[in-house]
Amino acid sequence: MRTSSLRLVGRYALLAALAIVVLFPVWVMLVGAFKPFDKVLQDRLIPNHVTLSTLREAWRSGNLGRALVNSTVVAVIVTIAQVVTSVLAAYAFVFLRFPGRVIIFGVFLATLLVPFEATVVVNRRTVQDLGWLNSYQGLAVPFLATAFGTFLIRQVFLTLPKEMREAARMDGLGHFGFMREVAVPLVRPTLGALALFSFLSTWNQYLWPTLTTTKQEWLTVQSGLRALSQAQIDKPNLVIAGTVIVALPIFVLLMVFQRQLIRGLTAGAVKG
Amino acid sequence: MRRRVVPLAIVGALVAAGCGSGKSIITAGNEPVTTVPVVTVVTVPGDTTPVVTTLPPTTLPRLLDTLPQCNPAALDDAAANGPVSITFWHGLSNELGRELERITKEFNDSQQRVKVTLEFQGGYDPTIDKYLQSNVDNRPDLVQAPEYTVQLMVDTKSTVPLQACTEASQYDTSPILPAALNYYATEGVQWAMPFNVSNPVLYYNKKTFRDAGLDDSKPPLTLAEVSEYGRQIASSGAAAYGLALDSAPDGGGGWALEQWMAKEGEFYSDNSNGRLAPSTKVLFDGDTGVRLMTELRDVVTNGAGFYVGENPSGQDNLLKLADAAQPATMTIATSAALGPLLGFVENGIIPGVGVEDIGVGPMPSPNGAQGSLIGGAALWIVAGKGDAKAAAAWEYMQYLVSAAVQSQWAAATGYVPVRTDAVDLEPLRTTYANDPRFRVAYDQLLAAPDSLVYTGPVLGPLREVRVTAAAAMAQIFQGADPQQALTAAAEQANAQIADYNSRR
Repeated sequence: MRTSSLRLVGRYALLAALAIVVLFPVWVMLVGAFKPFDKVLQDRLIPNHVTLSTLREAWRSGNLGRALVNSTVVAVIVTIAQVVTSVLAAYAFVFLRFPGRVIIFGVFLATLLVPFEATVVVNRRTVQDLGWLNSYQGLAVPFLATAFGTFLIRQVFLTLPKEMREAARMDGLGHFGFMREVAVPLVRPTLGALALFSFLSTWNQYLWPTLTTTKQEWLTVQSGLRALSQAQIDKPNLVIAGTVIVALPIFVLLMVFQRQLIRGLTAGAVKG
Repeated sequence: MRRRVVPLAIVGALVAAGCGSGKSIITAGNEPVTTVPVVTVVTVPGDTTPVVTTLPPTTLPRLLDTLPQCNPAALDDAAANGPVSITFWHGLSNELGRELERITKEFNDSQQRVKVTLEFQGGYDPTIDKYLQSNVDNRPDLVQAPEYTVQLMVDTKSTVPLQACTEASQYDTSPILPAALNYYATEGVQWAMPFNVSNPVLYYNKKTFRDAGLDDSKPPLTLAEVSEYGRQIASSGAAAYGLALDSAPDGGGGWALEQWMAKEGEFYSDNSNGRLAPSTKVLFDGDTGVRLMTELRDVVTNGAGFYVGENPSGQDNLLKLADAAQPATMTIATSAALGPLLGFVENGIIPGVGVEDIGVGPMPSPNGAQGSLIGGAALWIVAGKGDAKAAAAWEYMQYLVSAAVQSQWAAATGYVPVRTDAVDLEPLRTTYANDPRFRVAYDQLLAAPDSLVYTGPVLGPLREVRVTAAAAMAQIFQGADPQQALTAAAEQANAQIADYNSRR
């Protein structure tokens, strides 16, 4: 119908306008990263002088190769651990009956109110006393469990009907069996969201890796960018190039995960 | 009975006792004192005559003698069993870091006694943050700390004072620029060795000067001239603005305010900039500060200047010179930016302006006063790592500040050499002869009067105070009342200082 196709056009126009607003900074960043240092004030929006030299210099100056490896290892460890610990804890809070359950969960939630900055000094000291400075365990261990993730998974577990657990028990499934076969597959979209969130926040960490590493070989990506940001005026787009390099894995990850997320969503919808 | 006891300042007597001995103005007072009597004045309420008691002379131990000692001979013994390995934390990135790597490799290759491992910490702030957080085992043997952390480093009580080593080795500090050396001395102790030194200079576009009918070999020396030239540039249409001002805490904001105050001949904080005893309050909200900031604000409001903002990258003010639409003609920035700026201009960023059209002059002052405070960083030897490591760090440090290495370092990086004899050596001699613009910062430091005013403030929370001061300056540049803004900033800064001092 005429009105509905008009509405469609309007909708797409609005979406396109929003997309331009969102993508504009990304575009400026890309143009800057592929531009030689001496052309930085010219052709700010049109890539007339494409070169890889700026990216190469950023890669070298920021020691980004090693930093990417470190950040990836730490982010993968933290992501897997946070998903596992959150599922286990949330399952216990929802499906197990034990004394003090509500109070313990309250305490769990209360830790969300304590900002990271308030505990960073104590954590730093603990890690130092354990001799974990400049190591993967020092970078990862303080983040293996998360109250936010536990809360998130608990909320979706609560939406699963109790009858499901009872039916599973009739079929002879224990707690681990029920969790593995029934509960986790049903909440997969939420797990994907949590995993993505964990990965991103670990990837973007700056303060903690800065404080717990003193050697170049333990550098993470954000510290590498920080070093680039001190470049002098003759290399104004060096840090932009570094940002592109560091953002690239995240882009790839999002694209891969996007399909997973959608599939997980539809699968959940059908089964539910 | 209620009495009020007013002890006279002993410190003042100490300093007076040390004056004129030909040593540093600060360390000169640091002699064992046996003859200064302690005088207390006691007033009894209701009695107008104060009772003056003179206690017998006492011997006060030198502060230096109570600090970790330096034993250079320990290296000879240890090096007999192979080289002593030390780690050096630094905050120099990119080209600066690579030049440091080069000269350090030359040191490692040239001898078998000391082996230095460089560990880049991601910049000055991360270096100091990590250092403060670490225990002695996780600290390096030598650390580079920026100029705004003098008091912070002293209060860690974790370093071997430089003076212990210079005295033990009878090292001659006289070729080292007093303005650089004195910056790292407080309470009569020389704590650290300046390594990379910079100071603010005026950059200006000579072509615009000519277009506006000004003499391009005469940059403005006073704020009045800055205003006058700026208005002439703007009204002639040669450029949109004269001076580009910023309010970065480590640039045109906090750091520059310390410079402006020194150029006015005023202390920035009490107790002589905290050099004789820790400061308790800042002084920039007095008449001088208000007059100064009013004058600077007028440069912006009368059209002679342009305020570029907080300048977080440290480049916005320089980039304003290259603004295609509304360029400025002059700006004040660190001397370390000269090399990169020339490279930038060489690439044709400012149309019609060549490398030779960039002029450099001393930082203008309210009254034409010469001299400036330093920026940059110093080398601190870490205590508690054993005599051999400290001695090895001291040996490496002597290499880094030797005339030959400083000549290479200054020529390659654009920093000011820390010593006068480096200027006579190659490659720096040729650099300065070929391009006198690189010499401006050096001459400016030579011109700094040998006075406590020109040492700049040492404050525990100087990093935070700079942010506070810079925020006030940003308000003023945007039209706020100078007195109000400075008073509020001083209150906040004093609270920051009081908080720090209560935790010392």
